[in-house]
Amino acid sequence: MPGQLSKAAAIVGAAEANEIGYPETPRTSIRLHIEAIKNVSDQTGIPISRIDGVFGAGVSSQIAEYLGLHPKYIDTTAVGGCSFEMHVHHALAAIYAGIIDVALVTHGQNGWSARATRGRGTGGGRGPADPWSPEAQFATPYGISGAPSNYSHAMTRHNHRYGSTPEDFAHIAVVTRQWATLNPRAIMHSKETHPEGGPITVQDVQDSRLVSWPLTLLHCCLVTDYGGAILITNPEIARSLRTKPVWIAGAGESMSHSNMLEMEDFTATSAAASAAAAYKMAGMGPDDMEMAMVYDSFTVTAGITIEMLGLAPRGEGFTLWKDGHAAPGGRLPINTNGGGLSFNHSGMYGMQLLVEAYRQLSGTAEDGVHGIAGKQTSARSCVVNGTGGSLSTTGTLVLTAD
Amino acid sequence: MAYNKPIPDPDPTSQPFWDGAKEGKLMLPRCTNCNRVHWYPRIICPHCHSMEIEWIEASGTGRIHTFAVQHRAFGGWAEEVPFVTAYIDLTEGDRMFTVLRGVDPNRPEDIKIGAPVRVEFEPASEDVHIPFWRAV
Repeated sequence: MPGQLSKAAAIVGAAEANEIGYPETPRTSIRLHIEAIKNVSDQTGIPISRIDGVFGAGVSSQIAEYLGLHPKYIDTTAVGGCSFEMHVHHALAAIYAGIIDVALVTHGQNGWSARATRGRGTGGGRGPADPWSPEAQFATPYGISGAPSNYSHAMTRHNHRYGSTPEDFAHIAVVTRQWATLNPRAIMHSKETHPEGGPITVQDVQDSRLVSWPLTLLHCCLVTDYGGAILITNPEIARSLRTKPVWIAGAGESMSHSNMLEMEDFTATSAAASAAAAYKMAGMGPDDMEMAMVYDSFTVTAGITIEMLGLAPRGEGFTLWKDGHAAPGGRLPINTNGGGLSFNHSGMYGMQLLVEAYRQLSGTAEDGVHGIAGKQTSARSCVVNGTGGSLSTTGTLVLTAD
Repeated sequence: MAYNKPIPDPDPTSQPFWDGAKEGKLMLPRCTNCNRVHWYPRIICPHCHSMEIEWIEASGTGRIHTFAVQHRAFGGWAEEVPFVTAYIDLTEGDRMFTVLRGVDPNRPEDIKIGAPVRVEFEPASEDVHIPFWRAV
């Protein structure tokens, strides 16, 4: 039986900034936020002035101020790329409680443009690490250099424990690229969008340059610009709009650690716990899911996550891609936008998951920007899982079509 | 040549660890209530939440839990690529991160999870000696 909060609110619109990926002229994070917010307001017909809850990863007050809003609910949960799935969880609770009517979840990040601007326009973000932090004293001195250098350790452990291989995980990159070829906004859509774009093989993945063994470059996500925003509201308002509601049937969140020093099991994440909570609220289970949107910062992230979500046995998550089930036309489409691996990854990718899940379940996945058909699936339910930090934090949603 | 990689900055909680390192000792925090070792140093036991923490001199031995080979790095470490990083299961419990010595970064298939390792210390400055683990 579903929990009380199940379907107490719906996502009623999802939109992106006008230019994402590698914009020709540098974008600021605030522009990426604002364009997406304006677009989702136009899409739904909900005026920006009607937003009374603002949910952003660390930047909620800046966004509200920029828009001249004085919201009743302000949530700045910033625990990495899964923050946005958690925002949906929190917005669901706030709407159920009657505190707010219209929640904005917003993301803008100029991961690509910040290179050209040498760090300008990021909208704050992280300063230098505290030299007294555990990470600064006990990890940084050993040459660790960002996410790839950490996540590789998880792949090695998975290979050791389950007898899996980097080639097994390379299938995730190959199939995800197939989806990207159907998304004209994907960086790796084709040779027109990127010199290395278009279909790839397992051999291509394994032959790309080593970043952090066993991860080669094509096991790793892109670094791009992205702006995305969704609006969430109560059933009454949701029914009055011109857009289709996508129901938040279940939501859950959890974490296992912050720093990878504290990761107990390198082949597991807290998604097992956050998914259990989301399935319980929804009164549904893994067998009821008709597609999945899972954070693929690296192939290993997606592979392990599928195991945590109960969509494959432990140690066998990669088989959904290797056997073609996750591919276009397969029984369980996964990452239909082309993923962080081949579509877009701005640094925190959780919003990209939500926008695509909304589009799929509202039947608008093919509108893209150039009207190219192909990636719309027939799925009526989708499990969405964000993963933040160093396989640290997770937010899981069960979304259903109207 | 001066040490050209990041040098840790000891804080009041971790100071006993760095004092020990300077003398070639691997000091670990242990809870006097539940007797479990934890890493990184804390003022409260993450297992039983007692605040009675003592420092013990550890054996300086452990085993490889998992590892990777870094082919991209920044600062002083950029000159060292490729190098092997590893998480080490300490004989006394819990886990430390390290650059692993005594292994060939170009032959990762020869590095074995579970293989024994021993700690050594490199003087990075007069006050800070950094622990590194070596395959034995």
